[in-house]
Amino acid sequence: MDEKFFSRLNQYRTLWVLVFFDLPTETKKDRKIATSFRKKLLDDGFAMFQFSIYTRFCASRENADVHIRRTKMNLPPKGKVGIMSITDKQFGMMEIFYGKKVVEQEKPSQQLELF
Amino acid sequence: MIKRTLFFGNPAYLSTKNEQLLVSFPDDKPDRTVPIEDIGMLVLENQQITITNGLLCKLTARKVAVVSCNAQHLPNSLLLPMQGHTEQTERVRYQLEASQPLKKNLWQQTVSAKIKNQYSLLKEKGKESKRMEYLYKNVSSGDSGNNEAQAAAIYWQALFDIPDFNRGQNGIPPNNLLNYGYAILRAVIARALVSSGMLPGVGIWHRNKYNAYCLADDIMEPYRPYVDLVVAFIVENNDDIDELTTELKKELLAIPALDVMIDGQKSPLMVAASRTSSSLFECFAGIRRKIVYPDYG
Repeated sequence: MDEKFFSRLNQYRTLWVLVFFDLPTETKKDRKIATSFRKKLLDDGFAMFQFSIYTRFCASRENADVHIRRTKMNLPPKGKVGIMSITDKQFGMMEIFYGKKVVEQEKPSQQLELF
Repeated sequence: MIKRTLFFGNPAYLSTKNEQLLVSFPDDKPDRTVPIEDIGMLVLENQQITITNGLLCKLTARKVAVVSCNAQHLPNSLLLPMQGHTEQTERVRYQLEASQPLKKNLWQQTVSAKIKNQYSLLKEKGKESKRMEYLYKNVSSGDSGNNEAQAAAIYWQALFDIPDFNRGQNGIPPNNLLNYGYAILRAVIARALVSSGMLPGVGIWHRNKYNAYCLADDIMEPYRPYVDLVVAFIVENNDDIDELTTELKKELLAIPALDVMIDGQKSPLMVAASRTSSSLFECFAGIRRKIVYPDYG
């Protein structure tokens, strides 16, 4: 079907939420808090992009707000956490390398996916 | 928000981990995960799919419409939760206690909206029919004049350039495409109705005792022209439509994401379906008098 019938779901409207964090892991208690923060991100549908960088695809601004709010509610007492959201268009322009080799960008989640 | 549609046409093992749907493949392909709360519809087509009970429970709790297909790859069943809304019992009572005049009025609105959308689709294709215009403007309470059938007779003859085309379960192509598309639409509508706390089995007009989705069949009527639009598009752009290939199914499975105009706003069809179902409940509860249907024109 024509693109014009699906304007509500284009790459400028859909967003990626990125969460970056540096959490203290000196004591056993700190490690426990850090693990629980990471687990809650996973439960919320975030996937690891790199150690301590997690990403999640969101179909709309409203949906992204929900997940940002949830992450804020789970913030650990110590440590630095950054939350950023960018459009799918911007996310798709990221270049990724393994060594000097360029790797394929991970495909954004599609509204319809065929397995 | 618009939920995602997942279609499984290959063997897979589906389970759950971290509130995600975990897809494992029999070959060496890496596992995939999808957040369950993002899923609106799951179509299980391949016969070699294993699914765990833990996953099924999480899916139904999130009101995902799980559609499983038979060996002929046609949608066969629809799994929906027992409890779709916190006020379910109260809402069901309103639905069951709806008076006959109210139901007839709702059916009148539904038929009028359906014929209007059919008319607009024909108009867009340059096959305008003045008779259709008359029919949608003059639907009587409970559609006692049977305008729906009169419109259908004109509509199906005009929509496709196929001589003697008739709409029927076992008719010639593109009936196969229509059947599949309507099955998808029905799942979307039934899901929306259940989420609004209504029983999809108790209709306002349809009352066939063998039909478990009477209300869904009522409410989906004005949405059917959107399926017809997609099917007409496929027919115009494909030479071979006798067989329902994965490519064609892909086009049909995009129906829930299709832009529709509802209440003066553009929104994906799946979101519009929720607007319609909640307005239907408000009609049953006496809060409002009009069901909000999408307007193709």
